[in-house]
Amino acid sequence: MSGHADERTGETDPVNLLLESARDEAVESPFHVTGVMMQYYEVCKRELWFESRDVEIDRENPNVVRGTHVDETAYDEKRRNLSIDGRIAPDLLDDGRVVEVKPSSTLVEPARLQLLYYLWYLDRVVGVEKEGVLAHPTERKRESVELTDENEQQVEDAIRGIYDVVRSDTPPPAKEKPFCESCAYHDFCWSC
Amino acid sequence: MNDNYHIFSDGRVERHNDTVRLVTDDDEKKYLPIENAEALFLHGQIDFNTRVISFLDDHGVAMHVFGWNDYYSGSIMPERGQTSGQTVVEQVRAYDDEAHRGKIAREIVDGSIHNMRANVTYYDNRDYDLDSTLDALDRRREEIQSAESVEEAMGVEASARRAYYGIFDQILPEGFVFGGRKYNPPNNKVNSLISFGNSLVYANIVSAIRATALDPTISYLHEPGERRYSLALDLADLFKPVLTDRVVFRLVNRGQLSDDDFDSEMNACLLTETGRETFSKEFEQTLDRTIEHPRLNRKVSYQYLLRVEAYKLKKHLLTGEPYESFERWW
Repeated sequence: MSGHADERTGETDPVNLLLESARDEAVESPFHVTGVMMQYYEVCKRELWFESRDVEIDRENPNVVRGTHVDETAYDEKRRNLSIDGRIAPDLLDDGRVVEVKPSSTLVEPARLQLLYYLWYLDRVVGVEKEGVLAHPTERKRESVELTDENEQQVEDAIRGIYDVVRSDTPPPAKEKPFCESCAYHDFCWSC
Repeated sequence: MNDNYHIFSDGRVERHNDTVRLVTDDDEKKYLPIENAEALFLHGQIDFNTRVISFLDDHGVAMHVFGWNDYYSGSIMPERGQTSGQTVVEQVRAYDDEAHRGKIAREIVDGSIHNMRANVTYYDNRDYDLDSTLDALDRRREEIQSAESVEEAMGVEASARRAYYGIFDQILPEGFVFGGRKYNPPNNKVNSLISFGNSLVYANIVSAIRATALDPTISYLHEPGERRYSLALDLADLFKPVLTDRVVFRLVNRGQLSDDDFDSEMNACLLTETGRETFSKEFEQTLDRTIEHPRLNRKVSYQYLLRVEAYKLKKHLLTGEPYESFERWW
């Protein structure tokens, strides 16, 4: 994925676009990346496109209900939500680590990328270095996550990838994936 | 389950602890389990206050109100609806682009004719000879492909529906003379049944559209919203044969409705309270029927098909992926 910026001759690198507007309120940019967009980028780019267009999710979907419940109830006493510039909203544990809680470990890579994005954002925009922890309370599993040169690159490539998906006039075509059935966009995506 | 509750008696709907209850004029109390409810349909004279509206709002339950003549008169919709400026912009863009609007309008008429035809075929296979109607509908279906304007598409739809309504007098038993569609007000029993059924289809589609961020007043086949949710009119055309007409045939042919279920005065014929109760019970059972959906890979209720139709149209408008209107496939 390196060399990505070179292909964009004459255009600002999306990573810089994001950083400039995040660091300086005076810079207006319509391009924002939220934690959930990071997740969707890894899970399904069509889902990411729908999300960027305000397509409603089905809130009665059992998996959405379950995820919200785990998120609302797990580690309740020990974590607090921190909204930064209204752009990202990481959860902090008492010990200062950033925690990302997931109902199960089946989609662990997307959750890891989301967490890495928070760490990257805190480092680059706010100027604080944080450690992260990926937690699956229902499975009683936790895993430490740190920002390294390598995964920094992964985060920045994802930001560029998200920019491409979101800017496109059309979403990538539907493609059957093992987790489609549990997706909150399932019926919208597959209705035809 | 997305249940609809119909209230026919006069009285008061109120919040009581964490439920909604109906207190009728003769002081009978009934509780409505609204956790699973999609909407309340108020057919009687009902009082309610802001407390019950907030409560229904919290539970995402709509209230559809019907006037004295069975007509839909309005809805109180939950606030937590979907909104998306982008969706409305795309909706208007498609409306404003004559070619695009025409294409959607033709697609709706095409699906409507298919669904009328499905009913005709059903009876053609049961001792009736309806070949000429089938031919007529097939010709209309060919015509719709080349309809150049929306008015023309409307015309094709109207003449298809006329041909289709022509079989009603053959299918329905003696005592239920139809003689063509009349409304405002309906002039006989069959017309009053169709009017009532169609207004139920319409209200259910209003709810389905509300589940998306589509603007219910911007439509393609009908002219956009003059006092009515014209997008609901567009989509209702697709579902009338599957919902209203089948319920009418079923109830009448089984002899479940008698003269006592209708009130005739002047030139109007309207369903009585018990008539409307009988009709909506059968209608709700039809909405609850399920069918294996080939794309969604699971069984869905007829009612959910309305939601899927709103999704399809919205997806088409946002992504440009083709819109294929609902055609009964079973």
